Amino acid sequence: MNSKWVRLTAIIAEREIRQRARSRAFAVSTIVLLLVVAAGVVIPAILAHTAKPQRVGIVGGQAAAMTGIVHEAGHLTGTGVTVVPQPSLTAAEAALRSGQLDVVLVNDSEVVVKQVSVADSSGSGGGLASAIADVAGLSRLLGQLPPGAADRGVTLPVRGLSPPSASLSRRLTGLFTVVLVWVLISAYGSQIAMGVGEEKQNRIVEVILASVRPVQLLVGKVTGIGVLALAQAALMVVAFLGLGAAVGSSLVHGAAPGIVICGAVFLVLGYAFYCTAYAAAGSLVSRQSDVGTVILPVQVPLIVAYALSYTVIYANGANIFYKVLGFFPPTAPLAMPVLYAAGDVPAWQAAISAVLLAAGTVWMARTAATIYGRSILRTGSRVRLRQVLARGEAA
Amino acid sequence: MTAASAAAGPEVASRRVSLELIGLSRRFGSVVALDGLTFSVPPGEVFGFLGPNGAGKTTAMRAIFGVVALEGGQVRWQGQPVTEQARRRFGYMPEERGLYPSMQILEQLEYLGRLHDMTAASARDAARHWIKRLGLAGRESAKLEALSHGNQQRVQLAAALMHDPELLVLDEPFAGLDPGGVDDMTEILAERARAGVTVLFSSHQLDLVEHICEAVAIIHRGRVVTQGAVSDLERGDRPRLAVRVTGDQAGDWAARLDPGVATVEQVNSGMVVLTLAPGADSQKVLDAARAAGAVEHFSFASRRLSEVFRDVTGEEA
Repeated sequence: MNSKWVRLTAIIAEREIRQRARSRAFAVSTIVLLLVVAAGVVIPAILAHTAKPQRVGIVGGQAAAMTGIVHEAGHLTGTGVTVVPQPSLTAAEAALRSGQLDVVLVNDSEVVVKQVSVADSSGSGGGLASAIADVAGLSRLLGQLPPGAADRGVTLPVRGLSPPSASLSRRLTGLFTVVLVWVLISAYGSQIAMGVGEEKQNRIVEVILASVRPVQLLVGKVTGIGVLALAQAALMVVAFLGLGAAVGSSLVHGAAPGIVICGAVFLVLGYAFYCTAYAAAGSLVSRQSDVGTVILPVQVPLIVAYALSYTVIYANGANIFYKVLGFFPPTAPLAMPVLYAAGDVPAWQAAISAVLLAAGTVWMARTAATIYGRSILRTGSRVRLRQVLARGEAA
Repeated sequence: MTAASAAAGPEVASRRVSLELIGLSRRFGSVVALDGLTFSVPPGEVFGFLGPNGAGKTTAMRAIFGVVALEGGQVRWQGQPVTEQARRRFGYMPEERGLYPSMQILEQLEYLGRLHDMTAASARDAARHWIKRLGLAGRESAKLEALSHGNQQRVQLAAALMHDPELLVLDEPFAGLDPGGVDDMTEILAERARAGVTVLFSSHQLDLVEHICEAVAIIHRGRVVTQGAVSDLERGDRPRLAVRVTGDQAGDWAARLDPGVATVEQVNSGMVVLTLAPGADSQKVLDAARAAGAVEHFSFASRRLSEVFRDVTGEEA
């Protein structure tokens, strides 16, 4: 690989960027994606302000004083509250589990919720619960100090009935990542396959390959399209963070730096893994109209991981199968950001998955370049994969 | 190999040679596309690579550009095996035309020029030059697909000429051209050849291109069956005569000729076409004709390239 090799490849990449950035399809897809991001960030924020009143149970103590504390906390967090006195802590916990109550304040000792979140306090009813804990603790401090209160601090402890989970907002950030990775890989992957099919159908490959090598055409194409894909992704992320901050969406709180970095790493590696596979698939057909059928096998792992991601995002915790998908290179680009965002895997496991994916990408690029190089100049019927890989013949 | 090609052989070998195809072989499944194909092309003249469809012309041309793998043989340029670097100094117009349909023609030509080591500026200048030269001025920003078929062919030719190649290889450049297009193409090929470029083009229509090229290689089933200067091939090793004797519609006079002098090929309303026996004197035929009556017509007749093909292969071109 020398400077001339790079220069010719760059000319090919430059053409892809120019031609596609100018196209109507690129403009339209950018606008549509921006609108989707905007809607995804702004609509929940608007809905949050009109949230239904939270039902708060009180156990023990003076009903009037405790009702006052709950109303004050509701006022502070801008949440409507309804106070429901409970006969006992057992009854209150049962009501919490069944969803009849959102928060329970136990006189002078603790605040109980169904589940506390791991990373922040803004998750399911957490905002109100922690406000109640603050106000109740403060009022206790202002009243008669029971012995040892100072040791326990000002704020009452918040206890969850079930084990802690990642906050909904963190998981929604995971959702944003999975949608972005899925849309970009499948959309730009299809563009790569269609572009290769077009070049093969039009026979321009013969003109181009008279002066450059197949691998240069392949690398130039996926690099050019990749630059566009990543530019579009960066725009989406900026819009997501910018709009989120502007409307004070809780989604942005979930976008901790770790999750953003994890999403970016897997987006880039995911594109790198799939781009050459799509190009190899596109090189098997002689007519552009056949591209749809040959890219299907490439898309299957993506579709599986994408569909299963929703169950992880909305359910609590990932099952073992999904965790395996998080380390399997073809599904890792979608599964691992979700696992990491949901707090199901620590950072070092995400790093291992990224290394496995990078290794898989190298293998895929080599295999795909071989397939591409051997089939790009074959015309006539569709080239069979077995045929291409079996014969060690360079076309 | 016929005596004609053998006679032409030493002459070809003695000329300056720039492109050599040596013993090229390639099969596709059970089909033999190239079977030890060997010929060489000198610079400075228009060289025709002729043969029927399926003879292996396209495979041979693709082999020059390395877009088809060879099982044997070698392509040499100026005495050296062809390198990637050398190929970027070649111009190629493939049989199946290929350009981006939705790309503007100026941009498209500029892009292809840059892939042949031109700078962006010189590629743009060359693109403008060839667009103007080929009568497409004003269409620079038109998309290729918006052009007529004939104009798309012109853009394809411009793509091959962009970087002022040292070797120009055109696969069936005359196919699908209108008469005006054929004239333009002929003129450009001749002009390039005069400028010292090695020009190789293929055609399956032997008779249509015989006046366009100075030398040819005729290929059949992956092998060169005859080659040489067109003028030599047309004359052949056994000269042919066309003779007409007034009043003799059936050409009876010729039937009486000694086979050791000449044999009758055909009689066409009094015009007798004869082939001289090897070493025979054409004046003996004239004497016989004059003895039969007034000689209206007596000339050496040239053979068409399709007849040359038929003679050497026993098949129709």
